[in-house]
Amino acid sequence: MSEKESLFSEKNIKLFTDPFNNGNPITVLVLGICSALAVTVKLQPAIVMGLSVTIVTGFASFIISLLRNTIPNRIRIIVQLVVVAALVILVDQILKAYVYDVSKQLSVFVGLIITNCIIMGRIEAFALGNKPLPSLIDGLGNGAAYGMILVIVAFCRELLGSGTLFGIRIVPESFYVKAGGFYENNGMMVLPPAALIILGVIIWVHRSVNKKLIEK
Amino acid sequence: MENLIGIFVQSIFINNMIFAYFLGMCSFLAVSKKVSTALGLGAAVVFVLLITVPVNYLINKYLLQAGALSWLGEQYNDVDLGFLSFIIFIAVIAWIVQVVEMIVEKFTPTLYNQLGIFLPLIAVNCAVLGASLFMQEREYSTVAEATVFGFGSGIGWLLGIVGIAAIREKMAYSKVPPALKGLGITFIVTGLMAIAFMSFSGIEIKID
Amino acid sequence: MNRDSNVYTVLYAAVLVVIVAAALAVAAGALKAPQEKNKEVEKKMNILTSVDKIHDVSKADDKNTYIENEYKKYIVEAFLVDANGKRVEGDAFNMDLKAELKKPERERLLPVFVCNDKGNKQYIIPVRGAGLWGAIWGYVALNDDFSTVYGAVFDHAGETPGLGAEIALPEFQKQFSGKKIYRDGKFASVEVLKNGSAPLNDYNVDGITGGTITSKAVGKMIFDCLSNYTKFFDLQKQNN
Repeated sequence: MSEKESLFSEKNIKLFTDPFNNGNPITVLVLGICSALAVTVKLQPAIVMGLSVTIVTGFASFIISLLRNTIPNRIRIIVQLVVVAALVILVDQILKAYVYDVSKQLSVFVGLIITNCIIMGRIEAFALGNKPLPSLIDGLGNGAAYGMILVIVAFCRELLGSGTLFGIRIVPESFYVKAGGFYENNGMMVLPPAALIILGVIIWVHRSVNKKLIEK
Repeated sequence: MENLIGIFVQSIFINNMIFAYFLGMCSFLAVSKKVSTALGLGAAVVFVLLITVPVNYLINKYLLQAGALSWLGEQYNDVDLGFLSFIIFIAVIAWIVQVVEMIVEKFTPTLYNQLGIFLPLIAVNCAVLGASLFMQEREYSTVAEATVFGFGSGIGWLLGIVGIAAIREKMAYSKVPPALKGLGITFIVTGLMAIAFMSFSGIEIKID
Repeated sequence: MNRDSNVYTVLYAAVLVVIVAAALAVAAGALKAPQEKNKEVEKKMNILTSVDKIHDVSKADDKNTYIENEYKKYIVEAFLVDANGKRVEGDAFNMDLKAELKKPERERLLPVFVCNDKGNKQYIIPVRGAGLWGAIWGYVALNDDFSTVYGAVFDHAGETPGLGAEIALPEFQKQFSGKKIYRDGKFASVEVLKNGSAPLNDYNVDGITGGTITSKAVGKMIFDCLSNYTKFFDLQKQNN
């Protein structure tokens, strides 16, 4: 890759967009499901979580890529963990200081970004062998694609489970049985199993459209 | 004692790491194709949780919490190293996993052959870090409680992964829509298992 | 330099640790003030919510200043109460309720906040207890007859979403206003019933459907915490 390549070269754009389809970290590579599904009951925390993961993945890839020629082999994993953990602590402190309400909802799940396999996965698979800028783009793309899945899941769960989006009422009050209507929220949607089932359906749809991803 | 039993039952069935918090999903999905390997990984996770949660509990209590350093003297009463907890917890976990790996390799080579390949995976298993973070957030009052919580969480995780592996072995013979094969159907089955586990939440336990 | 040598590895690790630790300490130090402020404002907001004084926080330009001003306007006094119901001066706002409730009953010093809205006085008492999964807490405001509840607010660490977690919603909390904590001259607190299990009267409220354990825990928390104050209530009633 030449030094003068522009930021928006075809290659870089592909690095950013590929995770959204063929290389989606969740639906194709099965990475990083752990730490985030629990925050998809409402849209707002899901978006904050998605952004946090994007930032951490991008910068962790960037920093490791900068250091890639200096890291001693024997402590490679530890160095990576330390860099990631430091970034996560920064994100956690900033959330606590500026969006306190959301940070309370995310609780321990911010800390769990450290063990989010996407981050380590991208560092090992990409950042260790590439220049800082492409690594940053690769990290941001993967984080954003991951955030997108979170947002889709959260959208379904908040709309069907609470009848709201971003806390704003979408299903009118008068539709509800309580007010003499016919509608009732789907209580299952706010419970953990719903996230898994919605994710299963998303994968189903994704693979039906993109047939080459079907497992043998 | 009642309290300990309560925490144990709760961490296995009700606040199950996989079904209630989705923790450890990556290895859960990757290593659940065969019951025997699932059992090996599950056992390794139980083992590591049993050690890391109490160790991190002590570190949190005597080093990190606000005012935890007061045993060093009056002037340390206001020190709050809480912001370091993520990094210390993950370092302790990585370190313990290494030590456990070496000990197991040296003394019980048979066990090492069974668990060995899984041990390095565990350092980045979210369930392990998650258990330490939950231990911190829930403010357990004694080491015994923290240990029981760690052990119970591990057993719960083991139950989950062995259960899904057994289902996946049988599912190989079923007609699943092609696009749903593998990952998709596994998620949906996990969701159904989670619903089944939710019926345990009716258990009434008194926890102080 | 040889990347696999011991010296290099150790030096590298040491430098990394120092850099990371320094960066984190600086960040934590710089962000400490807004973080503490958030906690303080949240507490003030809870206290004000229990006396129903928070209405247009979403309209306020700056939430923090709005809450601070309202708090200054309405909360005129805060003091501690000892086991004999005597008033003791002290920092009621920053005291650690959890630590205090662990002490034997005789040694406890518990806070009371007084709200004064144009001569209408309410006494706000913090409550704390154990829910189904973790801690639950809140504030109960009493009228100045010390036997009628004016309002209440609750929050929780990790109750089941959609079930026990609903104790944090106004629909549940509103039921408490107007309930009596004394029955036939004896302290009885407000009972939280299993949803729909008995007809409601002045002394109980309806629990949350499917959240029976959390609902009962709220009842127990209110009973346990308010019973620490019965001597204080008696003294105040005599003075009235």
